[in-house]
Amino acid sequence: MKKQKVLALTMGIVLAFGSLSGCGSVNSVPATDQTGGNQQASGPDVETEVGKADSSEKVKLTLFTGKIETIDVMNEIIDDFNASQDRIEVTQEYQKDASNIIKIKFASDEVPDIMTTYEQGFVDEGKYLDLSEYDELWSRLSPSIKEACTDIKTGNQYRICTNMTMAGFFYNKEIFDELGLEMPDNWDDFEVLLETIKTEKPDVTPWFIFGSEAWHLGHLIEFIPHGYLKSTLGTVEAKRAMLDNDKEKLRFGEADGPMAVFGQKMLDLQSKGLVNQDVLTATSDNCVQDFVSGKAAMLSNGMWVISSILEANQQMQDAPYPAYMPDSEPVVLSAEDSGYSISATTEHKEEAIEFLNFLFLAENQQKYSEAAKAPSAFTDVDAKWAPDTIVAEVNSALEKAVNIGFTNEKPAGFSGDDAGRMVQELLAGQYTAEEFAKAYEKSWDDGMVVSE
Amino acid sequence: MTKKKIGLHTFMAFPAFFLFSVFFLYPLCKGIGMSMTDWDGIRTAKFIGIQNFICFFSDKRAMTDIKTTVLFALGSAPLLNIIGLGYALLMNGKFRGKSMARMFIYMPAIISPLIMGYIWYLLLQPGRGFVYHALDRIGRAELFGNWLGNYWTAMLVLILVNVWQYAGMTMVIYLAGLQSIPADLYESAQIDGATGRQSFCYITLPLLGPSIRINVVTNIIGSLSVFDIVMSLTGGGPGYNTETLSIYIMRMCYGSKTGYSTAVAIIMFFIILVPVVIALRLTKEKSE
Repeated sequence: MKKQKVLALTMGIVLAFGSLSGCGSVNSVPATDQTGGNQQASGPDVETEVGKADSSEKVKLTLFTGKIETIDVMNEIIDDFNASQDRIEVTQEYQKDASNIIKIKFASDEVPDIMTTYEQGFVDEGKYLDLSEYDELWSRLSPSIKEACTDIKTGNQYRICTNMTMAGFFYNKEIFDELGLEMPDNWDDFEVLLETIKTEKPDVTPWFIFGSEAWHLGHLIEFIPHGYLKSTLGTVEAKRAMLDNDKEKLRFGEADGPMAVFGQKMLDLQSKGLVNQDVLTATSDNCVQDFVSGKAAMLSNGMWVISSILEANQQMQDAPYPAYMPDSEPVVLSAEDSGYSISATTEHKEEAIEFLNFLFLAENQQKYSEAAKAPSAFTDVDAKWAPDTIVAEVNSALEKAVNIGFTNEKPAGFSGDDAGRMVQELLAGQYTAEEFAKAYEKSWDDGMVVSE
Repeated sequence: MTKKKIGLHTFMAFPAFFLFSVFFLYPLCKGIGMSMTDWDGIRTAKFIGIQNFICFFSDKRAMTDIKTTVLFALGSAPLLNIIGLGYALLMNGKFRGKSMARMFIYMPAIISPLIMGYIWYLLLQPGRGFVYHALDRIGRAELFGNWLGNYWTAMLVLILVNVWQYAGMTMVIYLAGLQSIPADLYESAQIDGATGRQSFCYITLPLLGPSIRINVVTNIIGSLSVFDIVMSLTGGGPGYNTETLSIYIMRMCYGSKTGYSTAVAIIMFFIILVPVVIALRLTKEKSE
């Protein structure tokens, strides 16, 4: 009986201490332990509180990213940096859902030192370090990138973008050459072009939209109606109108406004069978497969799709989004990419800047641009990021249309995915074009209330 | 002597109580507090009373999500029990290959619902999935529609996939219940001239009470809090059509409405609690 009691007591104490052991602090927890589904990109797999004798004195920095396509090249650069000195050790943490995971990290006070995610809400709350004084670096970057990195409200820069990206239509060159087609500048001619493809090649989808992925439909809003606003108001004025929710300028809910007209155009294309029938369930993989196999003539996407298409040896060309409003012009996304921010609360600001300095060296940026297949924003970096023909076509598309940037000034409570899901509802027949416009305006207004 | 025993028992219960407090009571209290704030996950939270709860009931999307969640549970929970019991009755008999059959029925339950959702997504893709090609091969491709692109068919697919995945788990619990019923009861009933149906109604069902209770309660909880299979199969779409309350909570939380999403989580707790209590009461009365 006594033995049983002693055993029970011991078990109780072990269990209690076992439970408490989880509350202990560990200096370096592997990224994979935190939320799952991520990748420990660099640094040791297992590190205990004791750690390695020499690494215990090192400053440990975390670089948080959602960019899967650059994990390997960043690993290389980080390894080079870690090997180049013995004071700082950088670890890369990748999360697929980085823009959401970072919110949890901010909320739980586990903010990474450097991050590639950027949100207006965090800027307003002073979560990022002001990088405006970083003159030596800004002088190496193109002025348009500096402008794109500038916060409209404060006029300061809280992130440094190292690359540029472009988004527009990509079309199958063979099909276009065979049918003698050219990408038009306005939407009416664009519809005629799609109809021609449908008539001449009934087995080919004129425009493939992968609508199961809400971000893609959100991008269509970003590039077409928001693009219209930016091209007519000017980028800075449009951003300001969005921040102030200036209804007179935005006209989101009006029957002849940018959203209603966009909604009607999309419904027309769907009813005429000019987009794929499985628009609501198709994925980006389906889209690329159909495009490279010649079953789809066009797709809308960013430069990140180029490598997949080139791997399949498909000949393609890119073009701007045609003007779809009476007073509009063709637009093409020419935006900042690969932005880096430093946490305002990090205890290792100097070390973080030292790492960024290393990352921004011309040779590292050349390596990065070539891996990311994106042109560098640094004026002193000469990277061969794509075959010459593609580079020439991208440059030509950029010259032919009004260049627009991404909208970072969207309300915090109304994301691009939310907007995309509204387009899904439109295509599922739940809205007329006017109802869609009104619903969009309401969601925008509700999102603004959250932001305020 | 009694006092000493109580002291030791209390001490023995401490680790469990500690874990319960840390992982349930503390988050619950913290959650209730948070649900009465306008916290967006970034800024300082401001107390707003029951405003979040009022907002929930005036949100059209939230009401649609409740409808979807309840519809899913109404379809899933009874089907899971009926099919699970059917499987158990079949597997309780004697036939060759019984072990293999049990394994095949149970196997989907050990696969992650997320993976299961993606597999079914690929099978059901219009024009490219296996099901379409199978129908096309037999010349009946016209029978195939974009099932995941329409509310009612998407709901049906979600319910059926969920039932297909978890019927094996329900079966195992019923099977354990069936095997604990003494065989002599059936023999006595047979001698007294009871038919198979009468044996099932008056011996099997009443003695399966505890299994029914476990299955009904776990299936109601599982169905009302469904997340992963919907997320992977439809993503709650098209639009917000098949969005369930769990997905709504996640999206609100990520959409800078952390306080509000906590309020919805508390509402969801009660939405699940009510049918569970009713089911427990009903099955308790039956088994008594």
